[in-house]
Amino acid sequence: MDEERFEELAAMNALGMLENDEKRALDGAIARDKEVRALTLELEQVTAELGYLIQPVEPPANMKKRIRAKMRAKGVKGAGISRGVVIGGTGWALAAGFAVASVWLWQERAGMTQQLAAASRAMAPVNTTTPVVDDGKTRTLEEELKKRRDEFEAQKRALATEIESLRKQEADAKEQTAKLTAEVAALKQQEQQSQLQIATLQSKVWEYRKSEMLVVWDQKRSQGVVVLDKMPKVQSDQDYQLWVVDPSKPDPVSAGVVTVDAKGSVKASFKTVEAVTGEAKFALSIEKKGGVPKSEGQLLMVGP
Amino acid sequence: MSQPELSEEDLLQRAGRGDARAFDQLYDRMAPRLFGLLRQMLHDEREAEDALQDGFVLLWERASTFDSDRSKAFTWAVMLFRHKAIDRMRMLGRRNRLVDSAVLEQTILEAPSHVNVDDEVQANERGLVVHEALNELPKEQRQLIEFAFLKGLTHHVIAESLGIPLGTVKTNIRRGLLRLRDLLKGGA
Repeated sequence: MDEERFEELAAMNALGMLENDEKRALDGAIARDKEVRALTLELEQVTAELGYLIQPVEPPANMKKRIRAKMRAKGVKGAGISRGVVIGGTGWALAAGFAVASVWLWQERAGMTQQLAAASRAMAPVNTTTPVVDDGKTRTLEEELKKRRDEFEAQKRALATEIESLRKQEADAKEQTAKLTAEVAALKQQEQQSQLQIATLQSKVWEYRKSEMLVVWDQKRSQGVVVLDKMPKVQSDQDYQLWVVDPSKPDPVSAGVVTVDAKGSVKASFKTVEAVTGEAKFALSIEKKGGVPKSEGQLLMVGP
Repeated sequence: MSQPELSEEDLLQRAGRGDARAFDQLYDRMAPRLFGLLRQMLHDEREAEDALQDGFVLLWERASTFDSDRSKAFTWAVMLFRHKAIDRMRMLGRRNRLVDSAVLEQTILEAPSHVNVDDEVQANERGLVVHEALNELPKEQRQLIEFAFLKGLTHHVIAESLGIPLGTVKTNIRRGLLRLRDLLKGGA
């Protein structure tokens, strides 16, 4: 570290201007270099001399008491400020010293007694011998006991209410859990039982080349959902009719008529008029209005 | 027949040996100027009172470490109380900012004026010497030193508050304090 740099750090240190990293750098230099150490101390003294130029301001009158109280609170050894009695002469000084010491000791004793009393009140839940002072009011022991009993009872009631509420919450939660568990079990069973089949169908008929048909089929329940899109309009005395082709049956089984909207779209659930047992195929035809039991019209789509 | 007045150094040494009356007298002599210093640094009456209280407790605890060959009792106390005030400013988050920009104009160390009080005579004599030495410094150095002494701020904050480049602050502080040291030693 060059001379100018440590002079700068020592000067700023004397005025308390250094930041942490600079203070550490200076402390390191002080430890290594006695000249830096000497300069640092010297400039601290110079700076402190500026204190002679401070305009005195009288502190609050009770400051000595506050300092003494703080010393007591901190447990400072030998704490205590005298009352400022000035006595001249050896004999008088001895006598007065004894008197001052007595007064001081008496005050110390009084102070300690008060502190002990306060500590006892704080430590003991109920003081059985001394009247209790709280918020500037003095109460008898009986009153204090009654107050504390009432507080205890109120706390007990609040806790009981809370426990009851928690118990109810626990019962509700158990019930809800049981319900959800049952639902999950049912869904699992349903999933196992259901054999969903999904089929998309397209037409080889020119007018229906852009049309789309999707069927979701649950064979176990003989029911499903059909979705049609971009279907041409049928004449007013006709309907689209959906069929499920059961390989074990000679004829397709009707699944009902399907009415599309103005855009040629529909999503509808359906159910066959009789059970279908084998692996199903699906077909769509144009039939007479209201549908027919056995297909008579043109089959537009078949699949899968 | 009155006893000769004890010096502040004697009182501090006695306090260091557990003499509560010496400590009491030391308080009477030093507290007003130290309280004035704390008020200037902390800008808060309550904080200054708390710092004064804590400072005197610390002074009592550390009085036994005082060495009269190294420093005067009062300058030793000023260092201790300034450190205390700076710690308090750090705790309050005030060390890195100027609390009130108006105080820029009020930061002036004045020559002592209460020369008629016996206890103050010696201190005031030294105060006059310090004041004369301070006035020997160029204005920009003197103002920076006064401001830094009374505000307890870091050099970055001082540079920012006064609108002076950081390098100028550091240089003026260094040159000013070294010159002040020489002047107080009796040098030209």
